[in-house]
Amino acid sequence: MDNIIVSDLTKKFVKKGKRKLLRREKEDILAVDHISVKVKKGELFGLLGPNGAGKTTLVKCLATLLIPDEGTATIDGHDIITDPISVRKILGITTGGERTLYWKLSARDNLKYFASLYGLSSKDAEERIDYLLDIMDLKEKQHQRLEKYSTGMRQKVSIARAILHDPKILLLDEPTLGLDPSFSMFLRSFIKNDLNKKEGKTILLTTHYMDEADQLCDRIAFVDRGKLIVVDTSKNLKRNVSKNEALEIKCIGNIDKLENFNAHIKNKKNYTKIRILHENTEDIMDDVLKDVKERAKILSVNVTRPTLEDVFVHLTGSKLEDEHE
Amino acid sequence: MNSFYNLSIISAEIKKCLKILLCYPMELVFWCIFPIFWAVPFIFQGNALVGGMESEAFSDLTGTTQFMPYILIGAVLNTYVLSALYGMSNSLREESYWGTLELILGSPCSKIPILLGKALNEAVTSTLFAVMQIFICIIIFGLDVAVNQILPIMLIVILLMLGLYGLSIALAGITIQIKQSHSLIHTIEYLFYLFSPVRYPVNINPWIRMVSLVIPLTYALTVVRGIMLLDKSLINLWQNVVILLAIDIGLIVLGYYIFFYIEKRARKSGIISMY
Repeated sequence: MDNIIVSDLTKKFVKKGKRKLLRREKEDILAVDHISVKVKKGELFGLLGPNGAGKTTLVKCLATLLIPDEGTATIDGHDIITDPISVRKILGITTGGERTLYWKLSARDNLKYFASLYGLSSKDAEERIDYLLDIMDLKEKQHQRLEKYSTGMRQKVSIARAILHDPKILLLDEPTLGLDPSFSMFLRSFIKNDLNKKEGKTILLTTHYMDEADQLCDRIAFVDRGKLIVVDTSKNLKRNVSKNEALEIKCIGNIDKLENFNAHIKNKKNYTKIRILHENTEDIMDDVLKDVKERAKILSVNVTRPTLEDVFVHLTGSKLEDEHE
Repeated sequence: MNSFYNLSIISAEIKKCLKILLCYPMELVFWCIFPIFWAVPFIFQGNALVGGMESEAFSDLTGTTQFMPYILIGAVLNTYVLSALYGMSNSLREESYWGTLELILGSPCSKIPILLGKALNEAVTSTLFAVMQIFICIIIFGLDVAVNQILPIMLIVILLMLGLYGLSIALAGITIQIKQSHSLIHTIEYLFYLFSPVRYPVNINPWIRMVSLVIPLTYALTVVRGIMLLDKSLINLWQNVVILLAIDIGLIVLGYYIFFYIEKRARKSGIISMY
């Protein structure tokens, strides 16, 4: 059974341009471009794409925060346009961004306030808040104002807020964005093991971290420039790449491209990472290393399997960390 | 269940707003003292102009020779105007700034109890401020408040607040759209100063008097000053009360209509998500 059915959903935004005498130029930006997708009951479904791909806009339409221009979606049988109240009752949502809670209030006060908006009785709210603060390991600091919390602790409160009313379906928008590895690991495990496997919640998760999508999601949809590119399991997506090996070289030096190879080059802060997909990397290894050595100092050489990012680049020609205007 | 649900939302909203307000103690001090300090220069100015605390010319326009209590009553009632205008629209602006507005609008509850909670919180805090101000006026300026005047004055203050909250709900909606509230509120605040008898009798100029007829504060001030300074009763002033009530109904209906119209528009344009 499908819990989320998105049918031909489209959302445009109007971008204001330069003012010309009396009129301002306007341009339509297609943030979500006729997307159709189905998420099964109990599935952990990932929307993977670079910043500005339209993931958050799609989530906000599903959460009834935005009204789509065309198409619609149903959440557990309730239409997001004609029956938004029923949709809101069964949805839990975390929106991206750090400031989604009252920093001047404690974790407990924040949760109590949102519990009242979702109609929890005082007794049920207290019990549920106790339980959530306990599993999130926040009980000790529950009365401290959030302004004194770390980013990771605030994100835990944010997730606790989303699941306060025990929703059937969760929309998690970049839940681990900006968190340090230990908090990310905790939240990923909590999302996968507790919320999805134990409690059976249907989860739609947006991320631009390919590892996160790979590790957590039953199926993944690639989104780029508002369009849905492909939907499949991580395993099947990787099979799409005909080349079954990836040669990865880390080096120090200024390399923009390799003349004779189709290389994916990322210039990071302290090093440059070069990835080349090939059927058999041994065949090209010597030539590639010779070319790189002439221009840079090699730090490491690895042969790996293609990643989701390789698949994304293969299918879209864009990098995951690209920012589209 | 539904009305209990709505009541719990109103109560949660009031508690939340009060807890956040208490994080800023200077704000409390400012609102308790500043409106009175604001009125003092006008009292001294009047004193300097007429050479005493009573004026016959002032009496011709207002029916009372004492301009000091006249101005102090204007200052105290104006606190309600300021806190209603600033409170509600600023409150939604802050929700937007904190990133919580989306979550509130995305919750399944009706938004009316949330707005009511914000309005009642303003009423509670404004009344606290007004009580403090009256206390200061009694101590420093010897303002005379009889016990039997308190009940009718409270009734008029409630009627004044109803209209002001209608107006501020509309402003809250406009704030969602334009993403800033100060210039709009300052404009309305100064229109109120100019066109209602906060500082001076509006019948000093026929044009100002005409415009003052659509401002609820005009009627509230007329009734409260009538009770406190001219020993009139609510029955003597019933016409003002009826007009105030009619303006309240108009402003509340208009306020809710504007708020929900703009909220729907904002969901379409995506402006809710912007800071």
